[in-house]
Amino acid sequence: MLIAAVLGAALIVSGCTVANSEYVTGGGAGGLRIVLPEEPPTLEACQSSLTSTGIVLRSNITEPLVERDADTGDLGPKLATAWEQTTDDTWTFTLRQGVTFTDGTPFDAEAAAFTIDRAVNSDLGCEVEGYVFGDTDLDVKAVDDTTLTVTTPEPDPILPLRLSFVEMVSTKTSTTEKVRVPIGTGPYEVADWQSGQRLSLEANPNYWGGQPGYQSVNYVWRAEGSVRAAMVANGEADIATSLAPEDGAGELAVAYRNNETTALRIQADEPPLDDIRVRQAVNYVIDRNTLVRTLFENLATPAGELIPEGIVGYNPDEKVWPYDPARARQLVDEAKADGVPVDNQIRLIARTGQFPRIAETIEVIQSELAKAGLNVKIQMMDTNTQLTYQIRPFPEDTGPYLLMIMHGNQAGDAAFTLDQYMLREGYQSSWGTEEFDASIRDAEALKGDERQAAFEKLWPYEQEKVVQYAYIAHMSAILAKSASVSYQPDSATGDEMRLAEMSPVS
Amino acid sequence: MTGFLRRRAITSLLPLIAVLLGVFFLARLTGDPANLYLPVSATPEQRQQFIEQNGLDDSVWAQMGDYLWGILHLDFGESLRTGESAATMALRAFPATLQLAFSTMLIAVVGAVIIGSWAAYRPNSIADRISSFLSMTAASVPDFWFAIIGVWIFAVGLGWLPTSGVTGGMASWVLPVATLVIRPLGVLTQVVRGAMVSALSAPYVRLARSKGAGDLRVVTHHALRNAAAPALTVAGDLMVGLVNGAVVVETIFGWPGIGKLMIDSILGRDFAVLQACVLLTAVSIFVLNILIDIGYALLDARVREKVSA
Repeated sequence: MLIAAVLGAALIVSGCTVANSEYVTGGGAGGLRIVLPEEPPTLEACQSSLTSTGIVLRSNITEPLVERDADTGDLGPKLATAWEQTTDDTWTFTLRQGVTFTDGTPFDAEAAAFTIDRAVNSDLGCEVEGYVFGDTDLDVKAVDDTTLTVTTPEPDPILPLRLSFVEMVSTKTSTTEKVRVPIGTGPYEVADWQSGQRLSLEANPNYWGGQPGYQSVNYVWRAEGSVRAAMVANGEADIATSLAPEDGAGELAVAYRNNETTALRIQADEPPLDDIRVRQAVNYVIDRNTLVRTLFENLATPAGELIPEGIVGYNPDEKVWPYDPARARQLVDEAKADGVPVDNQIRLIARTGQFPRIAETIEVIQSELAKAGLNVKIQMMDTNTQLTYQIRPFPEDTGPYLLMIMHGNQAGDAAFTLDQYMLREGYQSSWGTEEFDASIRDAEALKGDERQAAFEKLWPYEQEKVVQYAYIAHMSAILAKSASVSYQPDSATGDEMRLAEMSPVS
Repeated sequence: MTGFLRRRAITSLLPLIAVLLGVFFLARLTGDPANLYLPVSATPEQRQQFIEQNGLDDSVWAQMGDYLWGILHLDFGESLRTGESAATMALRAFPATLQLAFSTMLIAVVGAVIIGSWAAYRPNSIADRISSFLSMTAASVPDFWFAIIGVWIFAVGLGWLPTSGVTGGMASWVLPVATLVIRPLGVLTQVVRGAMVSALSAPYVRLARSKGAGDLRVVTHHALRNAAAPALTVAGDLMVGLVNGAVVVETIFGWPGIGKLMIDSILGRDFAVLQACVLLTAVSIFVLNILIDIGYALLDARVREKVSA
């Protein structure tokens, strides 16, 4: 009552009239309104592997040569109509004709070569360079207007997939500085960006493909999940992303599988975690089924490997560790009897807000580990601090720790996961064996069915011989969607929300 | 008066400098931003290049020297996150915070004077109960709870108000202001009530009454004038708190003010922007304090005398 009184007073003072439909986030009639958790820091195209940039940019404002289908994993044509491996280390792309950038510059092989050079071979320090290409420099040549060749130092069977991360930009783009607003060929262009408030896109009238279902799209951002959900419930937004089950989207909630998998990385180079029995014990005490049922509300599935179904290299037969606390206790006791210092304090490190109910998940795991006879202390960290533990070079003299990670393989091929998380010297890996490194390298050089078969064997090997991870669950995501919008999210939606796939329900 | 202001300025300048340096060092204790800005697979060379480009390889003292030298030349550095000038970002966000803080304060002062005076004049009246309820609520319920409950009742349940934002017209101000106003309104009402109770029992009020002054005139012309000085001091402090602490409300309602920018900068280890925000806030609080002193001196003859002595 009191709040109402205060609000009443405030209403009178601000002298406003109230009509629900006026609280549009700026779209006006015919516009689509989307609420995101955070503002994109930049729309620089070569930073498109940043989630908050890519979700707005990719395939909306700019486009790549080829595009990956999130459900099948197959590559489809976008700005390239065909591609083939013409020699061991060279791929040749045939480009679409009659495409122009929104500044009027024609899209041709020169433009494609310009973009790839700028993103991968330059000193700009682009996100995509490190994320997708590592240290590799590419030799790019425009043979004629519609033919582009890309040569790699070593044969690369998945080069087209890697290039699907390179968003094409106009040749008028600066090569010495990153730009905040890119000029692309996509179905939309940036109309207005009011920093801190909202970002508006308008349909590109000269788009080479069909016109999208909405003439304009407005993005706003709210950090609080419950507010994002409420905005859709209240008719202020049409789509809200990154929601948790408790955010209250109710019947407007759409749950969909994403590519994220949660796991504990076991920093296996210090006692007692350097003993494989202790690492196995960690795996036996995580009650994945109960976690999924109670804390994740069945919106996840227990995991036996670090990639979910739909990624090249997923092994459908890989077993999930059974929950067996007695066996875990026995393993810890055996290790103790052999002189392993199982009483050493182990830190269980997690990132605040990494996924919904992370704090509860960590507490459950800690209590189970304690039952197995391990001495575990929880440490919640913010993103930057947690990343110092997640990425090489790891901090030194830290004592043993278990690190909660969440990995999303957005590229669709296990190679991206294995290089970083499994190789002994991988950027996010602390442990492995020489033999395992060799099998990973061998598998990555293969193509097609052989590649799939070789990858599949790696997962059981990792869980039997290496045990660097305790996989927890393949996760799901939730978005809220107004009934007036027709859209089916897929596993890539979190990184690439294609506006052209959305249309008004007629 | 000018002598007083000069002394006041000098004594306030020291905390200002302390805050600046404090933020500078504390921010750097939270760790190297390289992890946040480089791709997870960045090579050691890329990492080194990033560190050198952003001057993070210099000693903290050298970095501080650069920073202070920059300030002298009005160069506050660039944002790591967006590449924009830190000063531009802070100055763009600040008006939104000030608007929020001033509207809140206006409502709090008007509300507190009405409820507080009424409560003091009629102990145990409805106003008296509202005032004690307000102050208890203000002291015990966190801002974010009000904010979320407000959204659920008035935006989702009743559909009267927008959930958040600044582009929905004046209606979008209601929930943020209502959330922010609870604390200052509660505190100020108590102050006004207390001051009015003692003012109303003072000899000069009894004198005025005996001369035939009406109730309303006694309250507005005699008692309130004397109750205004303590209320102004408290209101000044509360205003400082609002400018400084609208963080939760700005974050929840997506209000593009300096509080939200500060939080984003801390999480993003965006040192230049954080420093620019703190500097701007500290300077404005410094100015605000001086304004409060002047207002106080104008209201209270005793202070005025002390000041000019």
